[in-house]
Order: sequence, then structure tokens, then C-alpha cells
Amino acid sequence: MAIQTQTRVLTCIQCGKCTGSCPEAGRTPFNIRMLVRKKQFQHQIEESIPWYCTSCGACTIRCPRDVKPSEMIIDLRSAMVEEGDIPATIQKALENTFVQKNPWGRSRAKRGAWFEKMEIEIPHVSETESRRLLFTCCIQAYDPRCMVIPVNVATILNKAGVEFGVLGEEEACCGNEIRRIGELGLVEELQEENKAVFEEYGVKEIIALSPHCMNTLKKEYGDLGIKVSHYTELIASLIKNGSLVPRESYNKKVIYHDPCFLGKQNNIFDEPRDILTSIDGLDLLEFSRSRENSMCCEGGGGRMFFEVEAVYQRNADLRVQEAVDRGAEEIATSCPFCVMTLEDPATEKGIKVKELSEILMEVL
Amino acid sequence: MNLLVFTKRVPATQEEELRIVDEGRGVDLSKVPFKVNDWDNYAVEEAVRIVEKTGGTVTAISMGDAESDEVLRRAIAMGAKDGFLIETDQILHDPGARATVIQNFLKKESVPFDAIFTGVQSEDDQFGAVGGILAAKLGLPFVSMVIGIDAFESDHIIARRELEGGLQEKVKIMLPGVISIQTGINEPRYVSIMGVRKASKVERKIFKGKEYDDNVNSTIELVKWAYPVRKGEATMLNGELDGICKELLGILKEKGVYQ
Repeated sequence: MAIQTQTRVLTCIQCGKCTGSCPEAGRTPFNIRMLVRKKQFQHQIEESIPWYCTSCGACTIRCPRDVKPSEMIIDLRSAMVEEGDIPATIQKALENTFVQKNPWGRSRAKRGAWFEKMEIEIPHVSETESRRLLFTCCIQAYDPRCMVIPVNVATILNKAGVEFGVLGEEEACCGNEIRRIGELGLVEELQEENKAVFEEYGVKEIIALSPHCMNTLKKEYGDLGIKVSHYTELIASLIKNGSLVPRESYNKKVIYHDPCFLGKQNNIFDEPRDILTSIDGLDLLEFSRSRENSMCCEGGGGRMFFEVEAVYQRNADLRVQEAVDRGAEEIATSCPFCVMTLEDPATEKGIKVKELSEILMEVL
Repeated sequence: MNLLVFTKRVPATQEEELRIVDEGRGVDLSKVPFKVNDWDNYAVEEAVRIVEKTGGTVTAISMGDAESDEVLRRAIAMGAKDGFLIETDQILHDPGARATVIQNFLKKESVPFDAIFTGVQSEDDQFGAVGGILAAKLGLPFVSMVIGIDAFESDHIIARRELEGGLQEKVKIMLPGVISIQTGINEPRYVSIMGVRKASKVERKIFKGKEYDDNVNSTIELVKWAYPVRKGEATMLNGELDGICKELLGILKEKGVYQ
């Protein structure tokens, strides 16, 4: 374990705020306070336990002693990665990322497939004056459900007259999930590759389509001298300054789910709500746990690639049930992972999950 | 116990739409990423597990261009002691030719071994023949499609082979011998990037392939690459979801899949 992590762990006073805010505590064998305690005494930790963590960051944000328990989990996982002893599906995601630069192992040559069939022509970032890059994200480049998100955002930005470009197959996985899985050598490689491409084409600004990519590009790539933001920040400002005007009504009750990497980890709470409230007829509802206290959907921290052993009612299921109970007709969110985790229980309960850009496409 | 394991760097073609170029003389691999041959990954893991139990060393050997060093570093990161690269100017597709080069190499360099491990086949050429031909050329016993090694003694092994119909065959072969490993025999460990970087510090010996080309004759000549013929037997169902489901159900009933 890294010395810094070990030192921080020793300062833990076992107050329990981490466990109190953890989305896995109480219902799964994962008890973050106990894990920190075990690390203090250098006791053995059962190998399957660290993989429950969703990397939502709540423990680290709320810890009064700056122990950073979620970083301790990364260290635990990293040790297992270096030992080579990790769950098979996580292993596959890492090997895929090494070979094809995305955890799904889809062809890197097809990373730009989403924009090839669009009616508008999207330039390579090197051909733009602004050198503003739309960073796609792996899941949105390949997953049929999520490929619509970059198409929507590109269409909306084009409509607002915002110049931007893409990298296509030259874009590699951002490494956000890979870091949280603990494969730190691979993270370094991905970062070096992306940084070299940003530098080669003189990228000045990055609009990230996923909160996960935005988080790592903003906080974990070092000082790139590049402004990084999430697309909802840009669109909210375009609506505010009148460059984009939602013209159609959207007469529905919509409840907004805060993605952890956008909300609690990066304090972007208002922009997605500003977008939704700018739409005529849209009745914005809130979850009992929203904004800083939003409940994690359990799609982060490698959980997209790994099914835990414990059988319990999933957070996405609880979230959807609350949306139904509050009378929502649709759940809106602004993260592809949240869309994927919420959609299954939502379909079962007859409620729709929409990524923000999907609602915007109907009203602009 | 000295175990040799052959490992090959192959194009990762599963997700690619391969293009035939040069009027059928080649395939464009310029944008295709490369990886370790899946079968060889299991073979390396099996050999490493054996020496972890019985003692001894594993030496990884790869035949190919300079880039094949990547799979040697990987094998070392998994637990091989060292790596040999037989660097060849041109790709040898013919399994007979490959086996001859290996035979010449082992003889000329007097490489000591108790057993040779190969994958059952390589993902690119898929002849599944190098192990068998090599054993014949060396005059050694050969066991193929191995899905389990129950005993690994100084003079023999007991191995399980995969057969049709869910059957397994348990065989004994004397050592030294050649063993071709089937995927699924184990769960290969994950090799981290840090691990591969550390493995880079272990020396890999490079041997020039042309030094071992005595009697290497290709008996297989590539005539042409071709795409499979489209048979037009796929049916696309169009229309509303309800209609598609009814139509699909009808087809499944007609074909006897669903009663």
C-alpha cells in the first residue's frame, strides 16, 4: 500500500461517516469503516470485498479526517491487479482496454462510427479554429443505447453555432474507471497517449460527454492548460445567453438523478437543473436524496464490468421505485453509466430513463 | 524441470472488418492491434503453475518480428525466467516450416528442456499443427488438446484430453515430450502494465531466424485470400414490434425450435 494511503488510514478515528454515506453499506458485505480499521491493524481483507465499491466518492467527501477511504480501495485493488488475481470480467475489461483502448474490446477503428452517419459533418479537432474537442467516452462511442448521446450533443452544439471537433479513432479511453479498478500502469499509458494527441493538435478546450471522463481529464491528467467541462455546463450557458432556446413544450413530470461524478464529486448540480427548468411545461421533481446526498446508481468504479456475489435490492431499483412513488413520468440523468443501470428496473416499472440530451432534442 | 513455452503475437481481429488487399495476396493489418495468442496465454500459465509447484524454470520462446518481444515480456511477467526471440524477416505461415525452424534452433543452440508447451493453435493461421509436427521432427511423444495435467513427474505426465461428446481421455506420455494446451485449462493471471515494465528488465535473447533455415521448405502456398460467399439465408424482419414478434414466433414454430 502506498505510504501516503497508509499514513492517512492511521489518522482514522472510526467515526463511521464513511459507512453512513456508503451506497453499499448495510445491504452488502462491504463495510468501508471496517476495512479502514483492518488496514490500520494490517489485518487480511477478503479478496472479493474491495470490488463492491462503486467509487461514488461519498466516503472521501464526508470524511472529517481526510482519510480518503475510496483511495484506499484503489490501493487495495491495485495490489490485487499487480498480483494478477482479479475477477475474470474485470481482467477482460483491462485486457480489452490495453488492446483496443476501450473496456468493451470493440474495434478502435470504429470509435468514430457514431458521427459517420450524421447529416452534419463533424471536423477533426485539428481542423477547427477553436481547437475545442468533444471527448466521446468509450461507452458512448460503442454502446447502441448510449451512442445517441454524442449524436444529440453534437447536433445541439451545431444548432447553437458552437464550433467543435472530434478525434475519432485517435481518442483512447480516458482511464477514469481503469484508475478506480487499480490498473495504474495502464492509466499512465492511456493518459500519455491522450495527452500526446491533445498536444499534437493544440487542443485548447475539452467538452466531455461523460462525467467520468470529465472527472479524470479535469483532475487526474495534471496541468494540461486545457479547459475541461461537462457538456451540460456549456449547454446551460448557451440557454442562459439565448443562443439556444427550447421552443417546444415538454408536459411531463421529470425527476433528475445526480450522477456521482458530475454532482457530488464535481459540484455540478445546478446546470442540468437549469437546462430542465428552461423547458416550458416540464415539471422538475427531486428525489429525497438529491444533489450532495444523491444515491449512487452503482455503475461506477468498475461495477459496469463486474457482478458482485451478494443478492440485494440494487440502488437503481430503489431509485426507480422512488421516482414512481413521487409520480415521475421520466427519470432524467446526464451520465451514460446511470442511464444503463437505471434503465432495466425502469423498464420493468414502466417508466422511461432519458439522458438530458434526449429531452433537449425533443424541445429545441 | 526446464519447460519451454512457445508464444505468438497475433492480430486481434475479432472486432475488425478485415480488408483483403493486393488482389487477394494479403490482408490490411495496418490499423489492427496485436495481442498474445489466446491459446499460448493458457500454455504459459500452465507451465508457470507447474514450475511453481514442482520447481524448475520456464523459458518463453517466440518466433516473429521484433515486436514479438511484447509477448515475451508478458510471459516473463507471468513467471517465465527468460525469453528467446527467433526473429524472422518474413511471416512463416506453413506449420511445417515453423516447426523445422524451431527444431533447428533447439538443436543448434542446444536448448535443454524436459517438456515443450504450445497452444493448440494460433488465432491467425489456425493450422493447429506446429506442436504435432515439432514432436514428430524431434522424435518425441506428443499429447494434444490438453485440458488438464493431473501429474507432472520427472519422467512422465498424466494429461487429460478433450474429446467429442463431452468425453475426456486420460493419457500418460513420457518426457521429454510436446504438450499442446487447450484454452480453459486454467484461468490465466492478469498481467499488469507495471508487471510488463518490470519484465522489460529481464534479458531476452534475440536469435536471427535465417541462422536456422536449413531444410525449411514451405509446402503450403497461399493462392488467394477470399471473403466467405454470402448465402443470403438471413431473413430480416421489418415492421412494428408486435408484428415482428408474431412473425418470429411463427418461424420458430415452423422450424421446430419452439412448440
